[in-house]
Amino acid sequence: MTNHWTDIQNSDCIMIIGSNAAENHPLSFKWVMKAVERGATLIHVDPRYTRTSSKAHLYAPLRSGTDIAFLGGLINYVLQNDLIHKDYVVEYTDASMIVNENFAFHDGLFSGYDAAKKKYDKGSWAYEPDGNGDPKRDKELKHERCVYQLMKQHYAAYTPEKVSEITGMPVETFMKVAKAYAATGKPGKAATIMYAMGTTQHTVGTQNVRSYAMLQLLLGNTGVSGGGINALRGESNVQGSTDYALLFHILPGYLKTPRAFNDSLTAYHEKWTPKGKYGGMSANWWQHTPKYMVSFLKAYWGDAATKKNEFAYHYMPKLDENTIYTHIGMFENMYDGVIKGLFCMGQNPAVGGPNVLKERKALEKLDWMVAADLWATDTMDFWKRPGVDPKTINTEVFVLPAASSIEKEGSIVNSGRWMQWRYKAVDPPGVAKSDLWMLDKLFKGLRERYEKGGVFPEPIVQLHWDYGDDDEPDVHKVAKECNGYAMRDYTSGKGKDIKRGEQIPSFAHLADDGSTCSGNWLYCGCYTEAGNMSARRNPMDAANNIGLFPQWAWCWPVNRRIIYNRASVDLNGQPFDKEHWVIRWNAETKKWEGDVPDGGWAPGTKHAFIMKPHGHAQLFGNGRADGPFPAHYEPVESPVQNAMYKQQVNPAIKTWTSDMNDVGTPDKYPIVATTYRVVEHWQAGQMTRNLTWVSELMPDMFIEMSEELAKEKGIANGDKVRITTARGGISAFAVVTPRFQPFKMNGKMVHQIGLPWHWGYSGYSVGESANVLTPHAGDANTMIPEYKAFLCDVAKEV
Amino acid sequence: MAENSFYYDGSLCIACRSCQVACKQWNYLPGEKTKFFAAAGGYQNPSDLSPTTWTIIKFHEERKGDFQVNWLFRRHHCFHCSDAACIEVCPVEPEKAMKRHPVFGTVYVDQDTCIGCGECEEACPYDVPHVNEDTEKSRKCTGCFDRVANDMLPACAKTCPTESIRYGEKGAMYDLAKKRVKTLKSQGWKNANVYGTKQLKGLHSVYVLLEKPGYYGLDENPSYGSLEPIKRKAQEKFAAWQRDHGRENLASIGGLAATVGLAAAGFKKLTDRKNDNSES
Repeated sequence: MTNHWTDIQNSDCIMIIGSNAAENHPLSFKWVMKAVERGATLIHVDPRYTRTSSKAHLYAPLRSGTDIAFLGGLINYVLQNDLIHKDYVVEYTDASMIVNENFAFHDGLFSGYDAAKKKYDKGSWAYEPDGNGDPKRDKELKHERCVYQLMKQHYAAYTPEKVSEITGMPVETFMKVAKAYAATGKPGKAATIMYAMGTTQHTVGTQNVRSYAMLQLLLGNTGVSGGGINALRGESNVQGSTDYALLFHILPGYLKTPRAFNDSLTAYHEKWTPKGKYGGMSANWWQHTPKYMVSFLKAYWGDAATKKNEFAYHYMPKLDENTIYTHIGMFENMYDGVIKGLFCMGQNPAVGGPNVLKERKALEKLDWMVAADLWATDTMDFWKRPGVDPKTINTEVFVLPAASSIEKEGSIVNSGRWMQWRYKAVDPPGVAKSDLWMLDKLFKGLRERYEKGGVFPEPIVQLHWDYGDDDEPDVHKVAKECNGYAMRDYTSGKGKDIKRGEQIPSFAHLADDGSTCSGNWLYCGCYTEAGNMSARRNPMDAANNIGLFPQWAWCWPVNRRIIYNRASVDLNGQPFDKEHWVIRWNAETKKWEGDVPDGGWAPGTKHAFIMKPHGHAQLFGNGRADGPFPAHYEPVESPVQNAMYKQQVNPAIKTWTSDMNDVGTPDKYPIVATTYRVVEHWQAGQMTRNLTWVSELMPDMFIEMSEELAKEKGIANGDKVRITTARGGISAFAVVTPRFQPFKMNGKMVHQIGLPWHWGYSGYSVGESANVLTPHAGDANTMIPEYKAFLCDVAKEV
Repeated sequence: MAENSFYYDGSLCIACRSCQVACKQWNYLPGEKTKFFAAAGGYQNPSDLSPTTWTIIKFHEERKGDFQVNWLFRRHHCFHCSDAACIEVCPVEPEKAMKRHPVFGTVYVDQDTCIGCGECEEACPYDVPHVNEDTEKSRKCTGCFDRVANDMLPACAKTCPTESIRYGEKGAMYDLAKKRVKTLKSQGWKNANVYGTKQLKGLHSVYVLLEKPGYYGLDENPSYGSLEPIKRKAQEKFAAWQRDHGRENLASIGGLAATVGLAAAGFKKLTDRKNDNSES
């Protein structure tokens, strides 16, 4: 989230899209309903009328997979009617920057496309430099190649009628949403976007989110209170898991994972440290990358990381350009016998993964699996799943009973970036242990073996592992290392003398010469000499009284509660919104008041978006794999031809053509399907399907379908139905409801159904898994699976 | 002292049903082995109140036009009526097992003295109490008097994420409901109404509803006719119970309840959960 949960209450218009917040983030509705009680407009955009829609002033239906058409329509509406927040757009975004003359877009393809490789050469997606190498600008926004004009041209085709033809949303409904939302372009008004997996789990997922960011920038809604784009994270600590990089492409704090071609620390720094533009006006915060990377390496290898050995940079694993490390890639590799062992902690891919018939089969190819969880999961039980003879499976499965969140001490980081410390309430049952205990024992066991020899033992043997000698490691020591401390007495870049062993007060004091360690620079400041900041529970609000609660827990970065907040004020530091101001410049004290500002520099002396080399938010997203402007492409499985361009699907996605990856066509599978969660169950069900109190609320797998489709298929409410796709079929109860209605698109009627994906074969409440139906197809940038739009057929079960 | 009341605002309720779970957790009620319940659209479960389910959210769904739906929710639990038929018909003597809390005004079943005759279930205009066949006791929402007596909110109100369930001084809750309906009407909900201030001499659970009570299957003017036949049946069952269990036995139970008073019923739970008292 750019903002945070409590800040939703300050919004004037809330658009929930790709999210069923009332069901999947029920507590968010405490703040949503407070905003509504204050008079805010609530808009819900979703294929299905849900418990979220039931509270909305405007429910706007759209066919799954057509978000960019809808958002493009909104962007076009804002541009054509000149409803943008002009000062904001000119001063804080790249709208005025001139783009390379070779940049082009034609019928769904941007310039530089290589059809054989299915990749873009992004050379022409660049700003035109002036004599200093800085992007040329036209603050009048009139230059035909400025981002503003290119965007206007790009989205001109996204008329309300075209939006309706693609999405199935009635034109009148679209217009109502457009008017209500665009009204927040007025300075002092704010709209927020709340989104979740309905946005991201598409082959255009990244570009869906980019569309939101662009709309918010055009309306001046980013950095302000009640605004922003707010990713509702699906698990209580998934923000933390991202910040700490339980991913392959980044290291903690969003540092880049070294690629094989970054063959020295110098080469790494050279590649991943951007050069600032516009001289001293650009803060270009990533210029500090070497300080963060070296401090990170020092946290890993301590005294063994020296200037002489490039701070042990060569101990880091490097990414091979030809390997796909994402979930789908990993399971494809497992299926092909490349991956032989699997550690599965708190994850249940046998239910949660896409195309689970293939992924369950892939598990059979493993030599071993270690699975840690609170209950026996479908993944642990894959070898005795229905229809399988355990004698034919050679995988050895080790089960580690795990402690739950209340049975261990530690921190969680919520969607609003708040790191909150939690104490242990009770002992775990039986022999269940904390994750930290498991990893500590695993590491110590490995080290013991590598000390006796092995291939390249140094990274393990020399790893700095100092979390105490007790049976349960000291989680405070882990947190302190994440924050970082001085490796020797030194004077920081800010001129502060810090003694060896002292906690570093903030990332501004981190050094690139080995003086400091920090496991995650973004969290530097969370555990200082003043103590554990995340354990703070002071409910006092800040001077602006907008619900920042700055002394409640701790928030990254540097306890800044609303990021990009330099964009909430004009060039004199005065807030656009006088009522819900985030920061403001006090001309007498020469200080900022309110939230922690995006840098303490005086107003007008630095460009607002400090993480960008040129200091401006990018409407022109030239770093993406599939184009600098989001364009509408159909899902891999779609009932229709792309009505916008000749290019049917995202041209930069990887297509999987191996075994068990059949793709369905609309002649056999004419119905659109999507998956979702319900409030009563949690993810792949390993926690809730073992609790009787929750299972009684939602005991059985079901699908939801329209009255029209039910009539066509002779299905009655409560019937058992069979749902099939090119990958497989499942049975479920039918909920026949007006909450799903067929989409009428350009005279064609398209049906859609929806399925919760919680069930599997293990546990107290069992049922068939929706992910039997979903494909191995992923986003061009992230490879997140396209769970949210695929084709199926439905029939009454005989 | 002023009596208390629950408050439920259907315009804020998101039907997350955490109230159902919180109720079971606090009251040690087991989860039921339910089945897919098609009649209410698959979401309502358990299908109705029972000896082990004291509060449920009911779902009401109606097509209003193209992509327009009314999907309304209503919490169902004991209304804790001022004019309570259940108390009226309870045959247990010398002190009724169905009791009104002298401070909070809510109605609860004394589990020590209830004989499980089931006539409260028969008499209740809202079909709330249900007899547990195994223990032969009538069970229903207690108003969480054991929590309230310890300065805690009832479990459902405590857990409700949108504050659609609240609890407090009855007059204040009634006023809150009236004020909220006024706001809702001004926002276009022309059928918004308060339910509970007038019914059965005033309920200890007041609702803010978006549609007329009938829309939710609620009787706008609930009444019970003559309770005499039910009362007679209850008294016959009580007499039979006394014959089976012996008068002395009952007197000692009744005596204990009368002496120790209301606190006794909640005493065990409070000591069990003394660690929770810091909760606010």
